[in-house]
Amino acid sequence: MSSRDEILNRLRRQARPETLPPVWRSQREFADLAARFTESLTAAKGEVRRAESLERAWAEVDAILREVGAQAVVANNEPPLNAIALAARWPDCEWHVVDQTPGDLRQFCARADIGLSGVEAALAETGSLVVHSGPGKSRMVTLLPPVHIALVPVSGLMPDIFIWTAARAGKMPANVILISGPSKSADIEMTLVLGVHGPRRLIAVLYDTGEMRDSRVAELRTTD
Amino acid sequence: MTTTFAQFRQRANVAIKDIRLQKALDTATDNFIRARNRALAELPNADSLRDHFKAIRSATLGQLAHHLETFERNAVSAGAQVHWAGDGTEACEIVVEIARRHGVKLATKGKSMATEEIHLNEALAEAGVEAVETDLGDFLVQLAGETPSHIIAPAIHKTREQVAALLSREAGRPLSADDLSALTAEARRILRERFLTAGMGISGGNIAVAETGSVVLVTNEGNGRFVTSVPPVHVAIIGIEKVAPTWDEAAVWLSLLARSTAGQPLSIYTSILTGPARADDPDGPEEVHVVLLDNGRSQLVGTKYEEVLQCIRCGACLNVCPVYREAGGHAYGSPYCGPIGAVLTPLLFGLEDYEALPHASSLCGACKDVCPARIDLPRMLLELRTDEVTEGVLPWRERKTEEGAAFVLRHQKLMRFVSAAVRLAQRPFVRDDVLNLPGPLNPTPGRQLPGLAKHSFREMWKAGELEDKG
Repeated sequence: MSSRDEILNRLRRQARPETLPPVWRSQREFADLAARFTESLTAAKGEVRRAESLERAWAEVDAILREVGAQAVVANNEPPLNAIALAARWPDCEWHVVDQTPGDLRQFCARADIGLSGVEAALAETGSLVVHSGPGKSRMVTLLPPVHIALVPVSGLMPDIFIWTAARAGKMPANVILISGPSKSADIEMTLVLGVHGPRRLIAVLYDTGEMRDSRVAELRTTD
Repeated sequence: MTTTFAQFRQRANVAIKDIRLQKALDTATDNFIRARNRALAELPNADSLRDHFKAIRSATLGQLAHHLETFERNAVSAGAQVHWAGDGTEACEIVVEIARRHGVKLATKGKSMATEEIHLNEALAEAGVEAVETDLGDFLVQLAGETPSHIIAPAIHKTREQVAALLSREAGRPLSADDLSALTAEARRILRERFLTAGMGISGGNIAVAETGSVVLVTNEGNGRFVTSVPPVHVAIIGIEKVAPTWDEAAVWLSLLARSTAGQPLSIYTSILTGPARADDPDGPEEVHVVLLDNGRSQLVGTKYEEVLQCIRCGACLNVCPVYREAGGHAYGSPYCGPIGAVLTPLLFGLEDYEALPHASSLCGACKDVCPARIDLPRMLLELRTDEVTEGVLPWRERKTEEGAAFVLRHQKLMRFVSAAVRLAQRPFVRDDVLNLPGPLNPTPGRQLPGLAKHSFREMWKAGELEDKG
């Protein structure tokens, strides 16, 4: 008999009709999702920059590129990054846009100063970015460069992981990653060090999109 | 490896005499506990959430075959290859075979207790595959030729000077111990090169989510992301008990895991891995294997020890354990140390070989109090002690002594006679109420035992000495 059958048979003999408890629903309510997100990510040594619009968000990116002195930047080909011509806007940097720029992505990521990505969602409670793999969306862009900048729309904020799993449906992409801060370790004498393997800096540029969140809408209704 | 009473005592003594290690253990465990308590206090209804999680873990184990088959079906449909390993040898053979098929010479490894358990690195080395640990702590421990001493902080026992020496040797130039950032940067450089050249990435898995056939892996450093994303082949080894039926259960699991471990709301990176890279993904592994490891686990389902399979390896019980905090991880002689290790090790590797571990506890119950799945470790430690007596595992001297004591305690007259005799016999050895027996007669070397009181409880009661004096 194969190990598979042996293991499964042994377990089947011990099976009992025990049912899972009812699903645990989110018990979080944050008056201000952006404030909680900022607080949590900052506590984990991440950085958050607020922008009133996508246009202001590009200005923040501009400031970060100059601050870092970026020479090589790699970007995922996804919203909102694919809305503008990155290389035309920042001609002083060498750009690699995933699935667009020819050349070896891995080699470019390994020497890039900054990785630029969007997010699928963000969790306020834990200050987490939800990042998927997929067409135009590389795993290495958010991992190899020492600085990761993520553009996060305020409308993408969810209260917590329970809301995220409740909203989740269908097949998973090959890689989903919840990023809740810059890479860190305390393995040497319990002293915190950033940037062990992944990015040393994680900067979320949190921008308003003009879409109003349900809770915010409700708030405005009650104050009327 | 074995852990007899003498071995445990000897290894613990080494740790207890190491003042620097004692300080490191105190600092690390205190920090972890404080952070854990703060994080759970911040969570709404954390205690109900833990009750809920226990119910989830119990119900999942009750239908484990069903959930494992669901996991397998969904993982395969996402393109992963699922293997079943009855024991450690079979698991190692599976991984070695995958490495051989791809001509792998260098493999990078993420933190994994399961691979420690099955001695995968040794098996790979024999097959000519170099397996490099990439968790910073594990990497340092590997460079030193040692084993991890804490589930979460494997190099807790190393000083920065020792770390600097190890990394200097590896880098081929002297590095200063003063600058931790520079030391870490050097480790980053060394391991980055390995990541980019390895033919295979090996990881453990924190959760196998049946609903989508996904393996969830949490790390803080990002090494887990590297080993699962950069090499062309990824192999995950995961115990069969680590299944969550759906994402609803996985969310509860994740809500408790990092909080219990180090007080983080979530680990820095929670990777959810579902099959190999899709055709239109720009990167990711071309081949993904999941090895489901039994190695004694399925034998525990349905027994009085099933509860131990609810463990999610957060390490919280180590940090609160008064024995672990003094004796350190190496005393246990197993990759699983602390209270969970004291229960799990004898169950997986044999009570005969690890006779001392069920006794490496004061039964204070602190481990049960902090456990995210509320596992009743003290109960199982007692069950194991009972098994040692019924299975004749205890050394005869200990067994005879305890049998004798039980006989005396059952017979009142004999008890009175014996205690009177002992009070008489102890006289030359008692000074300031402390019993000082000469070397070989001393049952508790290194600890002071008080002498028997001058009068027995019965005598004092009769003489009215026990009246309330308040």
